[in-house]
Amino acid sequence: MSKKVIDRLKAMFGDKILETSDFRGDEEAVVGPKDWVEVATFLRDDGATAMDQFIDLTAVDFPLRPQSAPGVGGRFDVVLFLRSMTLNHRVRLKTRLPEDQPLTTLLPVWAGANWAEREIFDMFGIKFAEHPDLRRILMYEEFVGFPLRKDYDIAETQPLVPYRQVEGTDKIAPFGAEEGIPFGRIDWIGRIEANDLPVSTGIGVAEGARQNLSQGPEYKGAEPTPAADE
Amino acid sequence: MPTFKLDGQDIPFEAGDTIIRAAWKQGIEIPHYCWHPGLSIAANCRMCLVEIKSARPMLLPILAWDDKKKDYVEATKPKLQPACQIETAEGMEVFSKSKQVIEAQSAVQEFLLLNHPVDCPICDQAGECKLQDYWLAHQTTSKRKETEPVHKPKGVRFGEKIVYDAERCVMCTRCIRFCDEVVGDHVLDMRERGNKNEICLSPGRELDHDYALMTEHVCPVGALTSRDFRFKARVWFLKSAPSVCNGCATGCNTYVDYDPRYQRVERLRPRDNPAVNAFWMCDDGMLSYHRFHQDRLLTGRVKSEGAVAEVGRTEAVQAAADALKSSKKLAVVLSAQHSNEDNFVVLKVGRDLLGARHVFLGALDPVASGWKGDEILKNADNNPNRAGATKIAGVAKLESTAALAKAIDAGEIDAVLSLGFAAAESAEVLASLNKVPHVSLSTHPGVLPLLATVVVPVATTAEASGTFVNAKGMTQGFQRAVLAPGGIKAAWETAIEIATILGHDLSMKKLPDVRAAMPALAAPATAPSAPPAPSAPAAGT
Amino acid sequence: MEPNYEALDDDGQLELPAEPMRLNMGPSHPAMHGTIRMVLELDGETVVDVDIQPGYLHRGFEKSCERGTYNQVFPYVDRLNYVSPMLNNVGFALAVEKLCDLKVPERGQWYRMALGELARISDHLTCNSAGAMELGAFTPFLWCIKARDYVWDILEQETGARLTHSFGRVGGMAKPPTEMFKESTLAVLPAVEEAVLEAESLLLKNRIFLDRTQGIGLLSKERAIALGVTGPMLRSTGLDFDVRKATPYLFYKDVDFDVPVGHDGDNYDRFMVRFEELRQSISIIRQVLEKMPTDGPVDCPDLRYVLPSKEAVYNTIEGTIAHFKIVMEGLKPPPGQVYSYTEGGNGELGFYVVSDGSGTPYRVRVRPPCFHNLQAAREMLVGDMIADIVPTFGSVNMIGGECDR
Repeated sequence: MSKKVIDRLKAMFGDKILETSDFRGDEEAVVGPKDWVEVATFLRDDGATAMDQFIDLTAVDFPLRPQSAPGVGGRFDVVLFLRSMTLNHRVRLKTRLPEDQPLTTLLPVWAGANWAEREIFDMFGIKFAEHPDLRRILMYEEFVGFPLRKDYDIAETQPLVPYRQVEGTDKIAPFGAEEGIPFGRIDWIGRIEANDLPVSTGIGVAEGARQNLSQGPEYKGAEPTPAADE
Repeated sequence: MPTFKLDGQDIPFEAGDTIIRAAWKQGIEIPHYCWHPGLSIAANCRMCLVEIKSARPMLLPILAWDDKKKDYVEATKPKLQPACQIETAEGMEVFSKSKQVIEAQSAVQEFLLLNHPVDCPICDQAGECKLQDYWLAHQTTSKRKETEPVHKPKGVRFGEKIVYDAERCVMCTRCIRFCDEVVGDHVLDMRERGNKNEICLSPGRELDHDYALMTEHVCPVGALTSRDFRFKARVWFLKSAPSVCNGCATGCNTYVDYDPRYQRVERLRPRDNPAVNAFWMCDDGMLSYHRFHQDRLLTGRVKSEGAVAEVGRTEAVQAAADALKSSKKLAVVLSAQHSNEDNFVVLKVGRDLLGARHVFLGALDPVASGWKGDEILKNADNNPNRAGATKIAGVAKLESTAALAKAIDAGEIDAVLSLGFAAAESAEVLASLNKVPHVSLSTHPGVLPLLATVVVPVATTAEASGTFVNAKGMTQGFQRAVLAPGGIKAAWETAIEIATILGHDLSMKKLPDVRAAMPALAAPATAPSAPPAPSAPAAGT
Repeated sequence: MEPNYEALDDDGQLELPAEPMRLNMGPSHPAMHGTIRMVLELDGETVVDVDIQPGYLHRGFEKSCERGTYNQVFPYVDRLNYVSPMLNNVGFALAVEKLCDLKVPERGQWYRMALGELARISDHLTCNSAGAMELGAFTPFLWCIKARDYVWDILEQETGARLTHSFGRVGGMAKPPTEMFKESTLAVLPAVEEAVLEAESLLLKNRIFLDRTQGIGLLSKERAIALGVTGPMLRSTGLDFDVRKATPYLFYKDVDFDVPVGHDGDNYDRFMVRFEELRQSISIIRQVLEKMPTDGPVDCPDLRYVLPSKEAVYNTIEGTIAHFKIVMEGLKPPPGQVYSYTEGGNGELGFYVVSDGSGTPYRVRVRPPCFHNLQAAREMLVGDMIADIVPTFGSVNMIGGECDR
């Protein structure tokens, strides 16, 4: 397998390329977190590499791996997959960073990094500096923890989340008494109190008149039950 | 330290080490069946063959397949040497992964499996079987024989504890060497020749010595199986907790293998410790795990007006506190069957908080229990922690429970707090223990709980971590394996509970607190000084 | 719509409230295929901004893969792009085989191609017909679903299940092709072609359909590449990137097919690209069925990775041991990392597999094509009207299982 991309990177960046690999034909280069954006930008703009297509950005967790140098190595691998539309070759760019260290965003280089970085933040807790909108994407806001970390147990349960209040909207509480389709709902309290099983589900309580069929069509019914939030 | 090279790596060795032993000490495994670090060298399996570089290599003529000519051509190969038998020498260069060695390993494996029965689904050894592991690592092909395998006797009863299956046997002779060398009893030998070989018993004998289960332990395949463990559990469901046997004062290191789904201990295995038990355990120790689940006290008992009522654990703890509340002349009985932590806290509660001035020791009497020590592993004392309990009490020797009975008769004692089920004397001799309020913290029924007015169930050594001091004075730690049923707690936790009800604050909540407060009993020898076994603990060596 | 003249201000502009209205197009919505939540900011009917919130179908696929063995990943992989499960099966199998350096025999590779293309047909039929249904055209939907059912009949005959086959295995397939495979597939293909023709005949001259799809949901080539968009969505913008042509895998270089490409990147182009691809898939299947050997092994005979035949398992010790090791401990690829990519129904479906040498995968990352495609949806929707959301979103073919995993 030709190693054109790796050779070009090594020629341009020398020592900044910490490791390279060609396992099973996949060209891969490892850089330090400080050089992440620079090397990525080079890969996009250089004529010999021309990596204009963003394929994917992900992370891998190695919780027991020590740092090899301050700020380099450590727990997380962040892996970038790139392809050149014109030259039809690919490369994998990797960096290694410890926990709690942010990595600069690649959003200015490829727009596709937006959601990919949000997902990495969601799943691993790696923060991306200068990302305009770094919030969880697959998990809900109140989720506690970072699921794809190795120390997040697969059987972990989450705390119950109270109903979320959103500013600036007039939301009605869901799943309250009046939520959903009112007809078809059975008024069990009424049935039990009236001791009247054949009471049809009919129209909802607000109609009043149909509450207790066995008492004849003239029966106007009791006062309709006040709505839940009155 | 002199070194030799193994696959380019420098390996230090001591004079007299063979290649395989020097590598084993560094945690490198050269595949083997018949070699065992605790037994003599047999060199009959030929799995450990390695290539040793030599100035005058012995070259054997062979026919090698030539891909270009599509035919066999004459060639030579260096004669390979068994790593288990060749002594290391300074500067020796050994290759255990060269092409010839890999072919040899594959060929040996193929031969071993040639007549092997298709027993994996019913064989106990599955999951910790060397044939399986080495097939995947070194062969990965099918065998080239298509005729019916040789059939040999299966399910031969070798004794009360062992069943032999000749078809599965690879004739490594580990069992024969073990019986000869470690036990000194030549009860097993080989008969017939070639592919009719089998292991046989000495005429008129059974495999009846006290270490029969060790033959199953050394057997690398499923030829020798334990009747006790047979078909009980599949090993990949079992987890192992490092522990210490509580059968006698030797304190053999063990692994407690338990099934976490059912919280049951299914077997014990020896754990290597050259300073204590080398690689072995006796049968009584191996079978002592039954006590963890059989015949347990699971509820409390309260005796009032001669009638014994079963009560829940919390009620029993409350009753125990009530029984000890008004005692002015308390006696404490420590237990040689319980851990140092249990003994320490019970003593602290009894002596320091409740003012006891008399301390006794409850221990099993070897003679009365029919226990005989031997020269190999079994200590004459069948209590694991006599030394520990005595040291905790801070005296040279503790008096036995008979003296306690006498003291009660003499009126010097008005209440007893006893730990453990064991007492050296019988219930008749100790009858006076019944006459005063007597709180027994016990795991099993025995003399002491029988004579108690309040019995509180406590956890065994499989259910609570702790330490023992063995006859040699070594402190050894054991780890909890299963959870105690029904919320039962360790004796030390229970004693703290009783003390808390009585208004005392011991400021010890967890095991590290207890250990920090205990007197130093020599550093716990938790890690054996032997190198780690090359394969995972679940596989036999 | 005539403006309300009384509300005009001095410049003749309509006086309306200036703040955009926030509307929740919630996860539980008939047109939000497989649960997506879109928080729309609307100025009247125009979409000013949209915050697309995926994740409602997140089931922890990547985490679950770290629990079992490599072959136990196949049921999970089925449920990624669940309208074309065979493509996911094949993709993952190829990834692990790349890691283990395994060569699948010829017949197995052709078989994978055939089943994969059938899955692609099923995917495109579903996407296009569901898209049409949401515009009001219910009949083509039913016709295409009928055709899809024929395809599923073939898949059921081959794999045992209509949708969640779990048929791929590392080193081959779970079973060899049935005797009737070639015959029944060749019988079904004309029915599929006919259904597509009939659906097109109803739609392609329909004023409503054309107005609602042409010029709507535009995406430019440059944005598409930078965003990582692949598959029919990328090809609709005019770029002819198809993994099967760019880096052929299996035997794609030995079959003749075209890659349909659009002009503008609007909904209409995506619709047409998919139906054209469907026709190309039919042609591929015909060629594959011709070239596939009628006998021979489908699985690689390497006992370290592939289960031996039941006969070998029951009668030889090596077969038993191999079976035991693969099932109980899992097949053990060498430690390392590979990225293997195939053309899924929605674009480049990649698997980044990290192995630590044990039987359990260390990390399985799915490069989900519609996750990245969905990111582009924001640009496609902004500026269009609410009613355009439905066809645009339908043409993205966001499969929840793949997007959220």
